[in-house]
Amino acid sequence: MKYGGYTGKILRVLLDAGDFRTESLPTEWIREYIGGDGFAARLLYEEVPGQIDALSPENKLLIATGPITGTLWPMSGRTVFVSKAALTGIWGESHVGGFLGPELKYAGYDMLVVEGAAEKPVYILIEDNDLQIIDASDLWGMTTNDVTAAIKDRHKDPEIQVAAIGPAGEYKVRFAAVIVNNARAAGRTGMGAVLGSKNVKAIAIRGTGSVEVHDHEGFTELAKRAHQRVRENPQAQEMGRWGTWILTAVKQEIGELPTYNHRTGVFSGWEKLSAGYIRPRYTISDRACFGCSLGCKKMNYVREGLFAGTLEEGPEYEGLMAFGSSLGIDDYPTTLKANQVCNRYGMDIISAGATIGFAMEAFENGIIDEKDTGGLRLEWGDREMTIRLLEMMGRREGFGDILAEGSAKAAAKIGKGAEQYALHVKGMEISGQDGRTHRSIGLGHATGARGADHLRSLVVVDQLGYEDIAAERWGADKLPEIIDPYTEKHKANAVFESENSYCIRDTLIVCWYSVSWPPIFWMQDFADMLPLATGVKEFGSVDTLTEIAERQVNLKRIFNAREGISRKDDNLPSRFTDEPMPEGPGKGQVVDLEPMLDDYYRLRGWDLETGLPTNETIRRLSLEWTAKYP
Amino acid sequence: MCELACSAKHEGKFQPSLARLKIIKYDDIGVDIPNVCGPCETAPCVDICPVYAMRRDPISKMTFLEEDKCILCKSCVGACVNGVILLDTERMRIIKCNHCDGDPECAKVCPTGAIIYGPASKVQAVDRHSKILSYLKEIQRTAEASSASGES
Repeated sequence: MKYGGYTGKILRVLLDAGDFRTESLPTEWIREYIGGDGFAARLLYEEVPGQIDALSPENKLLIATGPITGTLWPMSGRTVFVSKAALTGIWGESHVGGFLGPELKYAGYDMLVVEGAAEKPVYILIEDNDLQIIDASDLWGMTTNDVTAAIKDRHKDPEIQVAAIGPAGEYKVRFAAVIVNNARAAGRTGMGAVLGSKNVKAIAIRGTGSVEVHDHEGFTELAKRAHQRVRENPQAQEMGRWGTWILTAVKQEIGELPTYNHRTGVFSGWEKLSAGYIRPRYTISDRACFGCSLGCKKMNYVREGLFAGTLEEGPEYEGLMAFGSSLGIDDYPTTLKANQVCNRYGMDIISAGATIGFAMEAFENGIIDEKDTGGLRLEWGDREMTIRLLEMMGRREGFGDILAEGSAKAAAKIGKGAEQYALHVKGMEISGQDGRTHRSIGLGHATGARGADHLRSLVVVDQLGYEDIAAERWGADKLPEIIDPYTEKHKANAVFESENSYCIRDTLIVCWYSVSWPPIFWMQDFADMLPLATGVKEFGSVDTLTEIAERQVNLKRIFNAREGISRKDDNLPSRFTDEPMPEGPGKGQVVDLEPMLDDYYRLRGWDLETGLPTNETIRRLSLEWTAKYP
Repeated sequence: MCELACSAKHEGKFQPSLARLKIIKYDDIGVDIPNVCGPCETAPCVDICPVYAMRRDPISKMTFLEEDKCILCKSCVGACVNGVILLDTERMRIIKCNHCDGDPECAKVCPTGAIIYGPASKVQAVDRHSKILSYLKEIQRTAEASSASGES
């Protein structure tokens, strides 16, 4: 049968041979994995052996799309980069908005696999079936915005979609990002470093083909109604107006705005980082990714002060947190400047900010001093120093070289007890949430496949008090505990079920917003839509989708197990488990992780001692094939 | 999204390259400008057509293509100031907006109201003009600010 939505082709870039190869998409993958993250996990597990160095030519970098990428379904322009992670050495994935994924589909490919390594700098140009690997010696060293402009100019086509690395990727900064459309980042886990290690400066894609779904009329009607639902949702409207900045005020109110490297959850200068303050002063236009009815991106301009003249998109809430409250900086222009540096150098803003926060706290406690930093005084709230240090990290200059390793590796190098200030799980820095005031994210951070992750299982419904939705999804009998952010009870259920839904979201691939928050689309909506898109009737059942999601979570877990991950690694920094929240509404709270882990493992069918899938779970999800690739 | 809706309606698939309108995105300065067909003050596509296949409604100033008369000379493709007349090289025909017979799909799906259709359609041109003007001002200000701070 012909499946709707897919192009049915995988394109391989063989850097060693300087050649390309087109393969058919194995259709048996469709029913087991749907697409996106699922396909990528399937391919990466089989083709990248365990224990290799993420920055060696043996590693592969995948760009995957889903069956509805490039269609009219709301927010279907997302794309995922997958690789063994440069930052953590385990499962790595990073989703990005913009227009890259649809362009890849229009060019005729569901997935792109970059393998081997080029001898000298190159960029990859894909124009439908016209494929080239082109010398990029003259582009090496450029920032991402310059290289994007240069490639568009060279090929005289402003419609080319460019995914580029900046100097940080070239220097293999462990948290280097791939930047799309100048300001959309596949940020986390260090995809930029993997591309840099392969000497690939950019991937440029232009497609003029089409995406054809199974039932065009039915799908288009449903998609239009779905758009209408987004537009009529009051929270989505707010989000369109204020972007993710609305979170600052929410987080401050519930005492979960990470401040001074997560030491506390309230920040006295929060107002200057809030939506109501920023938008009227700095925002000059609203922007959106492919096929989006929400439009949360904002273009901003700083007119005066230290960073006058900065014109840049963003940052998101995470950037406001990472370079604002977390460093004790109550100044929006600094966060915008930091975002610009991160975009141009190609760095993950969350890891970069958290690593600077780590250094500041280590400096405050005398573990490092001016001799280590080359004369820099790392003091909370120092705006100029922060930007300077960030640029040094992007070029691995001086003290920036150690920090470019990420907080976990930097702390290990520095020693002397610096580890306690490096807030990470499995090597990836903690994002802008705090398990002490929101227990389920404590569990989510601890169990996330790529480390301290806020995108794969962050439950929003429990934190913001959506009582009706909680009752509908998890059963009224679990109320009120399941929506009480200060108790461990039932949190594993919420994380388990949310993680499953987000897995389907990441196979389609659609955006976090409108699925995870505001809660507009959930499993049933995907079950209604997928059969129309693909023609696979089984996708019409939520149970089938749940099983596919479980398969994906387990496959990533097995991938990590091959790298040595087990229950001992599902932990949290002691700040969250031993240091009570010092002030604010969550004062006195800590995370009791172990009982939540037990509950979660039981739901997942994992062994309580090792935290790994049992043989029975592996059989149930037909993952026995994984044993062939030890 | 409008490009998608347009190709979905007219081509029965999702293919922005065959859409009858084009969004030009300037990521560096953060502007997106929709290029739609009409209403043009003068209509180069009508003037240049050697076989009078392109006609213009004198009241709405919208142009329409009569495919039967078209000889595929592609003159209109080059003449269009908005770049929204295309040649479909696969099926060999000119692709041009027919304004969905007065009820355009692109306007219906537009989430921000940037594309509108109606008798007072000059509004569009005015809107776009002011949008560009305000951006030019911003760019100038950026340039001044960065030259003052010594950056390139």
